[in-house]
Formats: sequence, C-alpha cells, structure tokens
Amino acid sequence: MRRGRFLFCILLLAAAPLRGQQQQPPPPSNGEAPSDSPSQAKQPHRTPLSAPPAPAVVTVPVGPQRPNGPVQKSLVRITATAVEPDYKAPWNAGVIARGIGAGFVIDGNRIMTNAHVVSNSRYLTVERDGDPNKYPATVQFVAHDCDLALVTVSAPNFFKNMTPLKFGGIPELESVVSAYGFPLGGERMSVTTGIVSRIDFQLYTHSSIDQHLAIQISAQINPGNSGGPVMQNAKVAGVAFQGYSGDVAQGVAYMIPTPVIQRFLKDLSDGHYDKYVDLGLTYSKLQNPAQRHFLGLKDDDRGVLINTVVVAGPCGKAIRSGDVLMAIDDHPIASDANVELEGERVEMPEVVERKFKGDKVKLDLIREKSPVTATVDLDTVKPYLIQGHSYDLRPRYVVYGGLLFQPLNLELVEAYQFADLRLRHFFDFFVLEQIYLEHPEVIVLTNILPDPINTYLGPYRGSIVDDINGKKIRTLADLAKAFAEPTDRFVINLFGDGPPLVLDPKQVDAARERIKTRYNVIKEDNLDEQPLALPVPPEEQKKS
Amino acid sequence: MRRILALFAFVALVVPCFAAPKKEPALPGGAGALGKSKELSLVRVNVTGQPYDYSRPWQKKASFSKRGLGAVLSHGRVLVTADLVTNQNFVEMERAESGEKTAANVQVIDYEANLALLEPTEKKFLDGLAPLELGGDTAVGDRLAAWQLEPTGALAVTEGLVTTVQMMHYPIDVGQFLAYRVSIAMQYRENSYTVPLVKNNKLAGLLLRYDPRSQVLDAIPAPIIAHFLKDAESQHYRGFPTAGFSFFPMRDPQLRTFAGQTGKPGGVYITSVEPNSPAMKGGLQTGDIVTSIANNEIDQNGNYVDPLYGKIEFTNLLTAHTFAGDTVPFRVERAGKPMQLNVTLEHRSPTDYVIPPYSLGQPPLYYVFGGLIFQELSRQYLKEWGANWQKDAPPRFVYMDRFQTELFPDEHRRVVILSQVLPATSTIGYDDLSYLTVTKVNGKEIKSLADLAAAVKEPIEGFIKVETEEDPKQLELEASQVEQEAPRLQQNYGITSLQRLE
Repeated sequence: MRRGRFLFCILLLAAAPLRGQQQQPPPPSNGEAPSDSPSQAKQPHRTPLSAPPAPAVVTVPVGPQRPNGPVQKSLVRITATAVEPDYKAPWNAGVIARGIGAGFVIDGNRIMTNAHVVSNSRYLTVERDGDPNKYPATVQFVAHDCDLALVTVSAPNFFKNMTPLKFGGIPELESVVSAYGFPLGGERMSVTTGIVSRIDFQLYTHSSIDQHLAIQISAQINPGNSGGPVMQNAKVAGVAFQGYSGDVAQGVAYMIPTPVIQRFLKDLSDGHYDKYVDLGLTYSKLQNPAQRHFLGLKDDDRGVLINTVVVAGPCGKAIRSGDVLMAIDDHPIASDANVELEGERVEMPEVVERKFKGDKVKLDLIREKSPVTATVDLDTVKPYLIQGHSYDLRPRYVVYGGLLFQPLNLELVEAYQFADLRLRHFFDFFVLEQIYLEHPEVIVLTNILPDPINTYLGPYRGSIVDDINGKKIRTLADLAKAFAEPTDRFVINLFGDGPPLVLDPKQVDAARERIKTRYNVIKEDNLDEQPLALPVPPEEQKKS
Repeated sequence: MRRILALFAFVALVVPCFAAPKKEPALPGGAGALGKSKELSLVRVNVTGQPYDYSRPWQKKASFSKRGLGAVLSHGRVLVTADLVTNQNFVEMERAESGEKTAANVQVIDYEANLALLEPTEKKFLDGLAPLELGGDTAVGDRLAAWQLEPTGALAVTEGLVTTVQMMHYPIDVGQFLAYRVSIAMQYRENSYTVPLVKNNKLAGLLLRYDPRSQVLDAIPAPIIAHFLKDAESQHYRGFPTAGFSFFPMRDPQLRTFAGQTGKPGGVYITSVEPNSPAMKGGLQTGDIVTSIANNEIDQNGNYVDPLYGKIEFTNLLTAHTFAGDTVPFRVERAGKPMQLNVTLEHRSPTDYVIPPYSLGQPPLYYVFGGLIFQELSRQYLKEWGANWQKDAPPRFVYMDRFQTELFPDEHRRVVILSQVLPATSTIGYDDLSYLTVTKVNGKEIKSLADLAAAVKEPIEGFIKVETEEDPKQLELEASQVEQEAPRLQQNYGITSLQRLE
C-alpha cells in the first residue's frame, strides 16, 4: 500500500507542472509545424509517470569527487502559482495554474531562474535543500525576451547557508556539462550530464519572436529543469530552458549561455530592464556574382544586402532598402552575414545582441556604389512586440454595447484562432509592411456578448475597426475616446466589404447594466498596460 | 471567404455495403412517378485526360481515367457534368447493354455551372435510345430517382427525398447557383460522375456531389440545366450572367435607420460594386438598398418568393432566370429615395479577373530564365496546394486572391510571381527564393507575363534586374550568362520550352 501511495504522490507532483504547460506557446507564426519547435523544459514529454519511484529516494549527500561541488547548496526549487489572463473574457482574472521549476543563488542574495517559471505568477515559494520550509519569494526582474528572471526571498536567514554560484564562459564543443533541477520523477534534486552539442542562434520559445545565442546540450532536460543551472568545472555554463518533446527529437536540450545571462545582469544593473535592442532590418546574403557586380562590389565575399528597413526602428532614417552593409562596428561582414567576434564566426546581429538601449553602432554601407557611414542609436523595435507572447500584463480591451474590442497581438490570435485572411495578413505583415504606421494598434471586434441591441451584428465579428464617425481609430484609446463623444449614433466602419456597423448610444446606455450583469463584466475597459499586481497576499500553502 | 463545404465529388467514396434497395412503399403518383424507364436514356462516358501541372508548368501531370454516365438528350446530344470531361484528352461513349463504343466531342462546356454537352462522332450511335426530357417542376418534398448502371448494363435505381432547394456553391467557386439537396442512400457504382436524377421519366437534375457519410447529395437542378441548354443553342455560348456587386442583409434596425429606410423593412445593402461591372454601368452604388429585381420584391434577408420553391436568395433571379445581355430592372432606395435602375447583365469571364478564379482546359503560362520560373498568379495555381489551399498555399497569395478587387481596383492586369528557382550557375545564392511577387523588371512595371518577357529583353548595362514586393526586394542576373546557360538548363531539368506566353 505504501508503494501505491507513493506513486500517487508522484502523480500529484507531476500533474502540477503539467497544468502550467497547457499554455505552451505554439511555434512562431512562420508556419513551422508545432511538433518541430523547441519547447520549454516545463513541457511534459515522454512517459514521466512510468519511471520507477526508486530515484526519488536516493539520498543526495554529494561525494567529494563531484566536479561541480555541492550544487545543492545553491539550488532552489521554485513553485509558482500563475494566473493566465483570459483573452476571451479579459475582465476575468484568468485561469490559475501551478508550475515547478528550478533556480540557483547568485551573488547579492538573488536567485536566477527562467522567465517562464515565474511568468504571470501571483504567488511564489522557494525551497532549499535540507530545509523543510517554503519561503515566499518575489520577482525582482524578469526578461521575457531572453527567458531569464531574478527572484529574491525576504526571509532574513534564507541565504545564510546558501552558496552563490559563479558564471563561467562558453563551454567547448564536446565538453561535459551537468544539468541540475527538479524534473518529473521525484521531489529532490536531479542531476543529468551530457556534452555540448552545438552553439548557435535559436528561437527562444518563451517570447516566440526572439532569437539569441543558445547552447544545445545532450543532457536530459525535462519539465522541472527549467531555470536550473548547467554546470562545468563548478561554474555556471548556462541556464536550462527549453528542449524538444520526446516524440520530436531526443537528446536535444538548450541552455541560455553566459553571454546572454551577463547581458541580462548588466542591463538591469541600473534598476531597470530595458530589453534587447535591434537594428530593425532584414537582409539577405550576397552570394550571387551577378548581383555583386551589379551592386558594384568586389569579389571579396563581403557585404549583405539590406531588404526591408523597419521605419520605426533605429535604422529607419539611416539605411535604405538596397544598401549593402559592409561592416558593423568595424567588424567586416562576410557575404554569408557572419562576422568574427573574439575569434568566433557568429551571425552579424550578435554585435548588436551584446549592446544596450541607447548604445551606438557604426554601420559601413555601400549605397549606389559609393561608401556611406552611419551611426545609429539602438533601441527596441516596438512593432515586433505584438507578434510575440506577452506576460504579466492584463489584457487591454473595451466593451461597448456588448461588443468586445481588443488590440491584435499573438495572445489574441491564439485565443480566438482567427481564420480570417485579413486579420492574418495584418498580423503576419504588421512589421514588414509597416502596417503599424497607419495602425499602431489593430483594433479587432473580437467577440459579441449577445443582447437585443447587437443581435444582428454577428457577421462583423473578427473585423478590424477603421474609423468611428469619420475619426480614424489608430489605438484602443482612440476607440474609447470615440465612444465617449456625445452623438446621435456611432457609425463604425470596419475593413472590408460590409455596411458600417451602426449603434445608437441611447440604446447602448439602456442596455449597459443588463449586459454587465448578464455576462458578469466586472470592468468595461482596460486601457492601460498595467503590470499584474505583485506580490499578492499569501495563499494557502501547497500540501505535498 | 465563404466556407467551402468539404463535400467530395462522388468518386469511389461509398463503401460498398450490403443494402439491397428496399422495395419502396406505394408512393403518391405510383412507382411510375419515379421514372423506371424501360428504354435506357443513359450511356457510359469514359474519359482519359491529363491535368496541367502548375508547379512544373511546361508539362502535364500523369493521366487519369474517369468513368461516368451521360444523359441522352434530344438531337443526339449527351449531357454530363463539366468535371467529368475537364482536362480531357479523349472522350468515348459506350452503350450500356452492348458495350459498343464511339469517340465523342465536347460541344459546349460551362465550368461554373459544371455542365457539358457531348456529341458522338458517329451520328447513329445513339439511335434507339429515348432522349430524356427536362422536367423543371421539382420542389421540396419530391422524391427523385438516381439512375446508375449495373455492370451488366441494367438500371440501378435509388430513391431520395428533396430536402432543400437553395443557392449553393458549385465546385468552381464563382458565385452561387440553385441546387437541390437530396437525402439519399446511394450505393457505389463504377460510373460515379453525372448520375442523373429523374422524376416522372424526366430529367430533374445531375449529381453535383455526394457525401456518403451524411448521405446528402447536391444536384444541379433542371432550371440551371435548362439555362445551359438554351444558351448552348445560341451561336456563341455566353455563360451565366452576373451583376457584379456584393451585398449585406438589412436585418439590423439600426442599419436601416442609418440607411434612411423609414418604410417597410426589406432589401439588401450594397457593400461594394465591382469596377466595370454591369452593376456599375447600370448606376448601382455602394450604400444603395436593392428592394426588388425584375419585379420580385426582396426581403431584408435577401430572399424573394419563388412560386415553386418559396424563399430563395435573390441571386437566383440573376443566374437561372436571366441571360447575358438581358436588361433587368432594379428598384433601389438611395438615401431613402426610391429609384429604378436598369442593369444589363453580362457574363464575367475568368480572364476578366486580376487573379483568374479558374483556368481549365488551357495550359498555364510561364516564363523561365536563368532558372527563375515566373508565372501569373491564378486560383488554379493556388489549388496545387490541395483541398486546403486556403490554409496551405503561400498566405500572401491567398490574401491577394481573396482581396483582389480591393488591392487592384479598376485595373486590367495580372499578378506575376516568381514561383520557384531552379538551381543553376546564374542563380547561385537565389536557390531558396520562392513565392515572390514581381513588381518591376529592368525598371519597367510588370502587369503581365508578356510585360515581363518584353522587359527581360532590355537589360540594364548587361544585367537583368528583378524587383519583388517581398524580401529580398531585388535580384540581378547577367543577361549574357542567362542566355548562354539556357540550353543546359532546359536539358538538366527537362524543360521542353522556356516559355509559354499565350
């Protein structure tokens, strides 16, 4: 009977992280099959429950021969209770989900983990080795673009016996690394080892739009490993963060390497995380000899062709489509878009990856066969953000006459699974076709809460708002303002074929309370990007 | 986009099941009403054909063979569905009982209405077969008999109930046509195309599609067949007419008030008028409310009352009831004021679209140079992505097809695409490019493949520059190298000809 109970326990534990994983971001919008995309290590894979319970009862005392020292003195287990916003009923609090991840202590009484372990969290606890207590914790910094976060514990003695870990460099290919964490199969620390398989740019699935350096390792990483350190020679070589689910590929796991971690720590050293900066352009390789001759280039295998320049980005004024980018900060760019940085050939954006908001970058160009030099101030390219996942934010919306209006973003696309071709086009080409210039926000009539005043308006669902009473709607605030104007009727023009949507404000006012009550609309709008309130009063502690 | 029902043409979909056609109980009108004819008015039609290959436009795909039935009509004509003889290389008719065969020609084909007329090369071939007459009085609640042939040539009859008569999409998604929906448990027979539906020994319809799971059959109804036959009698087949506007029901009282409709609710709101369409020439405008067409009042849902079927969408008045060239009176309300406009309807040929909705029976155009393959964007090309082409084809192209009127207003043009790149010396570094929209070549705007072919011949300082809407925005080739490499390219990839411009 004991054995049976124990298995049940495992099932409970396993179920907890699994819950949080239902919200696994699907692949980027470039059309990859979901099964091909790397998934976060929080995701369930394989047959977690079939593992024998034996490993969970192995005693952890670490032998002196262990190359990485007593890592359990630095490792913590993080339990996060998150509230995932409900984009279909944005006035609601959302769905409560619980996940388990790992973290490790670094200098300054801070705990490093993955952003996806603490995203949308309302209540966090950490546990450490040999201590029966669960300590409430708070998020200090979170960087969703590189999937890193810092957490701290206010309990005075928490860090007393903990050993902060130090960071190493980029490990050599084929060298052995060990991953520490709390994956499925037990509650205590687990160690797996593997070798460094590949060092390359990878998509960070947490945001699903960011690509940074990542290191592929062959160590097994499973749900619960997220945020745990990957060690080599007693130093942190990376933070385990994503992998493939077992039915796609085995032995492929990724960790965030130390250059990305160091950049994160440096960015927030002024007390504010500014996010990654970007050039805001697309380019293509210049390998065709005829094209090189046409552009007046020498046969020296140098330069990339600039395709699209994001007008709202740092290069919007300085660079044009058709320019040839020859060097970045005096690093010559090869025709396959690689530069040499510290003896390594890396892709050209890596130069920018290491910089911060407000830093300058020097670009040597050839424009119409003549050399031009430009220096630009780097910044985040904001229009891209709608195409990535957003976290820790309350959904923004306006409900008017039972019509729900929301700004288009990836969360909306996933919640409603729009099939409409126009919406898809606005979303996919928001940046590349500079749609954001006309529509800083694309306001969509996403849903209709049925009421006699809107009973014939069903066909308008999923349409994009163009103007209201002749005023262009460029943002959600514009929409709210338009509905506040006194008028006899609102004539709402939507994109595409269809007559305008006409609303009588008197009828809307009369129906207002009725709709609010019937659909439990607690709040009729949320216009501001408010972060989720943190911390939240402690909830009942988890029983294991 | 209107949802296209995922129903299949009735091709070998029915799992042969043990279901002997049960004896029908006595029906109103007696068994004779079902049309058990002693003399068969059917022939078998065997077709071999080859579809064009839009992904390798210089060649055709592997050949297919189809077997269907044909309904024998008067004057030695045989009626079949267009999809039976689409892309045919050879059509033959076969007498059901004797197995005697003769070659046949396609006289008239209408892909939109999915109908075609065949004629045997041997005039006497149909002798002894009683021609079927057309009966146009089918209504909801009637029973129709589906005629199929047993391998022996004997007739197999299944009976079904007409459940609905309404406007439906036909396989070529250009507008909607009247169709019967019949609930019928049909069994699989070898000749699955063009199954005739018969009432009182008269032809009531032809099978359009059948879903064996729900046992729902859609049929091309007699009024559409009659329209087709009448048009076919004229010197020059014109095709079904269109008016060229889109509309929206006027159910919403707030919309009616806005549109200035104070009297009785009714009519449809015109949401857009196609440039150069009959509707535009007739003076219809966006925002007009069409309240009646040819003296048939239209209600706020867009239906008129048909004497036979009851409420039917008004578009039936413009397809089944009128011919290209007919002038039809429209009563409209404009800003609350009633007025009458006369619209002379025309057929809109697929070539009148910027992105043609179908191109059947003719080879795709293309132009190849230096390994770059250029084509004109068409829905036929997009359909190479299969039944789910709207999801699977390049999204930008699907978007352009869907919103072509909006994106290319009032323009006679085509969209030229760089569909793929065959690796060659002159295309090094371009091999990964595909599905790009061509804007200019050598600085000249490209609005057709002919434009492109002409522009290519005027290189800029020895270079051919192709500009695209999408990244990489531009690519260049050396004109002399392209020319030099052409024979090898043809040889390597088996391209019979590097271009087809008409």
